[in-house]
Amino acid sequence: MNYFLHIFIISCIYIPPILGFNLVFGRGKLLHFGQTALGLAGAYGIWASFMLFHFPFLLSLLIGAACALCMALVLTWLSLRLDNDGLGVMSIALHLAILAVVLNSDRFTRGALGIPGIPRPLLLQSLPAYALLCAMIAVCWIIFMLIIERGKLRRNLQALAENHWHAEAIGVNRRWVYTIAFLISALGALTANVIFVPYMALLSPSDYGFPAMILNVMMVVAGGPGRVWGVVCAIFLLMGLHEGLRFLSLPAEMLGPTRLLLFGTILFIAVYFRRETLFPPERKV
Amino acid sequence: MTAEPLLSVSHLSLRIQDHTILKDISLEVQAGEVVGLIGPNGSGKTTLFNVLSGFLKPTKGTVCLCGEDITHLSAPLRARKGIGRVFQDFGIFRDMTLLENILVAFESLTTDERRKIGDLRSATQETLAMVQLQHFAKKKAGSLSGGQMRLLEIARTFKGNKSLLLLDEPTAGVSPKMTHQIADLIRSLRREGRTVLIIEHDLPFIAKICDRIIVLDVGEVALEGSPSEVQSSKKLKEIYFGADPTT
Repeated sequence: MNYFLHIFIISCIYIPPILGFNLVFGRGKLLHFGQTALGLAGAYGIWASFMLFHFPFLLSLLIGAACALCMALVLTWLSLRLDNDGLGVMSIALHLAILAVVLNSDRFTRGALGIPGIPRPLLLQSLPAYALLCAMIAVCWIIFMLIIERGKLRRNLQALAENHWHAEAIGVNRRWVYTIAFLISALGALTANVIFVPYMALLSPSDYGFPAMILNVMMVVAGGPGRVWGVVCAIFLLMGLHEGLRFLSLPAEMLGPTRLLLFGTILFIAVYFRRETLFPPERKV
Repeated sequence: MTAEPLLSVSHLSLRIQDHTILKDISLEVQAGEVVGLIGPNGSGKTTLFNVLSGFLKPTKGTVCLCGEDITHLSAPLRARKGIGRVFQDFGIFRDMTLLENILVAFESLTTDERRKIGDLRSATQETLAMVQLQHFAKKKAGSLSGGQMRLLEIARTFKGNKSLLLLDEPTAGVSPKMTHQIADLIRSLRREGRTVLIIEHDLPFIAKICDRIIVLDVGEVALEGSPSEVQSSKKLKEIYFGADPTT
């Protein structure tokens, strides 16, 4: 039972950052892989300040928010200056650069060891209490994204995704729209890391590596880029699969590669069948 | 004393790498005028529109709208100042419904303009009714025919209270019946006192609806005058067909 509750909690934690990522990547069709970098910057901003420098939690939260928002602004700046292919490469480079900084700044981050012993709030010591909190946050995010889906921001993002010249010619401000979208995405990443790290009681850089980035992309692609409910379903299904593989009687050294192979196959199939909706070609007469 | 022109382009040049695309172009368009812009392929007509609507920055020269220098303003800001554009390749969003296509444009207007329009939802319905597309309101715009897409685009720009409309080949890929409808729409724009700058290859069409025609050739203004003057000009024939070797 506890194991299913664990899968439920992890799935709920994934909802804010993946829906944020879905807004930019799925709806805005901005080919960026920087969502994990947003989470990484936010998580280390909060938990290194709180655990290693013993700042008050609220101040640490502000530092984390500032780190994630700065990263979001860098990604916005890149998205305005680069085409999709350039943005994709640069966002991967940015992610790897931040990861390298985290892994090599022992004094500020404890490097590859991560930051252990992160406490849960007193009221959230039990698994059901934590599950309830995560579920409430996930529901709030789903409602928030459904409101966005019906609003001006979604229409502007969709118009810019179809043809940014046409959108700008009717007055859509690309700079403003992308900034808002990336900031929402960063807020999702920050929210997830405020609840994920105390749940695991450890901030480990290995949770923010290349496989995490691929998992983010896979959840959006499998759920249908831009579709809120589709992506939510994909999160639960893929997390179930991710954790469910542990029930197979595979040797420990086979579990990781099997998971990568399986996810790689799912990503391949999803991209193949969704190639038109992922990044449709610009339409001409 | 002549009134201040709505659009004033002065000594405009554009160089991209080693190529001069526009060469010292100066022109004025008065408020309420319908001006045709013609010229052979590659003469710089669409590039001039790209400069006027803010997508390309000129190397030299200025663009003024109602006496205000807008040369360094971005495209969205120029749209908010009152420049509307209809693209050659249909500037509508095909994955959005017709309602959303109009709504996205209305939502990008300035607060004052939105106030003038009133309730956005009913204004959106009115816009669709204007071009008899109200029954397709909730359909994806991609399902429309080329002519209907063009009507939707012009109507959207028209209802957006734009003072200057730049129409880039509005009849390209459109049936003769739709061409008449588009001509009627442009005439109604003129009756409303809107200013229109229109690129077109169909000379009889442009002669029927324009007050004045400007001919571009290799990035320069080669000829300017009333439709009858331009149509009877020997220079126009030279521009399109080359000089007559027998004369």
